[in-house]
Amino acid sequence: MSGFAAVLRKDLRLELRSGESTLALLALSMLVLVVLVFALGAARVRSVDAAAGALWVAMVFAGMLGANRALLAERDNGAIRGLLLSPLDPATLYAAKLAAALIFMAVAEVGAVVLMVLFFNLEFDASIARLAPILVLGAIGFSALATLLSAITGRTRGGDMLLPILAVPIFVPALIAGVKASAAALAGAPLESMGDWLKIMIAFDVLFVTAGYLLFEHVVDED
Amino acid sequence: MNNSAIRNWLGFSTLALMLASLFMVFDYVPPEADQGIAQLIFYFHVPLAWVAFASFGLVAIAGIFYLWLGDQLWDDLGYAAAETGMVFCTLMIVAGSIWAKPIWGTWWTWDSRLTMTFILWLMYGGYLMLRASADDTPAVARFGAVIGIVAALDVPLVIASVRLWRTIHPAVLVTKQGGHGLEDPRMVATLLMSLAAFTALWAWLLLLRFAQLRARSRMSRLASGVALAAAAASDTN
Repeated sequence: MSGFAAVLRKDLRLELRSGESTLALLALSMLVLVVLVFALGAARVRSVDAAAGALWVAMVFAGMLGANRALLAERDNGAIRGLLLSPLDPATLYAAKLAAALIFMAVAEVGAVVLMVLFFNLEFDASIARLAPILVLGAIGFSALATLLSAITGRTRGGDMLLPILAVPIFVPALIAGVKASAAALAGAPLESMGDWLKIMIAFDVLFVTAGYLLFEHVVDED
Repeated sequence: MNNSAIRNWLGFSTLALMLASLFMVFDYVPPEADQGIAQLIFYFHVPLAWVAFASFGLVAIAGIFYLWLGDQLWDDLGYAAAETGMVFCTLMIVAGSIWAKPIWGTWWTWDSRLTMTFILWLMYGGYLMLRASADDTPAVARFGAVIGIVAALDVPLVIASVRLWRTIHPAVLVTKQGGHGLEDPRMVATLLMSLAAFTALWAWLLLLRFAQLRARSRMSRLASGVALAAAAASDTN
């Protein structure tokens, strides 16, 4: 089995056994959405802008929680040393961590979308299907960025607090594009009409997956 | 190469250029027709912008060289550039805000340039918080380099997305004219003088800070060398 597959399988198996990360991500997404319903006064008004915004807020916060825990298992038991001593290329380790983060984020996103439709008085129709590629692009970009950054923040004193401080400004292009495209999709616009936003998200994804792949080896190490 | 001589020369040049620039702004150039005297902030705001972004680029370039060559000198340069750039970025935002109040009646607006600068300011802040939250080990220097590179690569995307965001939902208030559609040649001259003055100021502060960080790196290298020698001496006893 390739190193990539081995690490990915390990992470998925760990998660399937305990389910704690997924549960926490889903719970956090729901709670963030609840807060936003009250904060934005969306209880009676049907607003796609508020819904799209709330969805992305929930995704970003859940994504950060997930990312903080990405290398947790390795750090806790000194397992990172084993991984680094193995023939596994750090870039491949990054790819595997990215894939795992992406899968967890995707699961949380499905839950968040369902909750969003319910809380913001939307419909389960074709607009949700149009939302899917936008959310996938967003998840890829965020996971790529957060996996790289969490390798850094996990090794500093600031730790969990530092990840949002670093990640949010850098994530801004994908966030703006994602929210705008999501709102348009929920309002019924076809994907062609949001070409510019999608291009920005694709560029962001390519840039950060590449950057993470190349730079991960400089930041991953035992403490 | 005598570093302090260069710094002194830069310091005096900065003083001269600043005085010339102040004279030109307040006595030479005519204020723009509809904005009145508040428009003169333009001659500080634009150079501050150029310097804030250039400094950030320097952080990234120093980061690349540090990862590639491993010499502590590049990390010191990057850190100095981040600190200096943060100062100028903050000044730019404050200047922009002071300009906005009389012209637009509000202290802040999400126009594309102000938004971009604010994001840049947040990136600077993140970098500095990262460096502050850990000791100055080579590992942390690598972290700084990676963050600097990643954030700088992101800047074009931020600019594109913020511009697109603003054109689809145009601000209620009309943004200040994009360019430097400066009709009067005196305005161009004043702007260039101001650019030179602020660039000199930036370079001077950067070199000052750089020299301090170099000295600190050298000190810690010497200190660890002394400690090793002392340990070796006590081992042989």
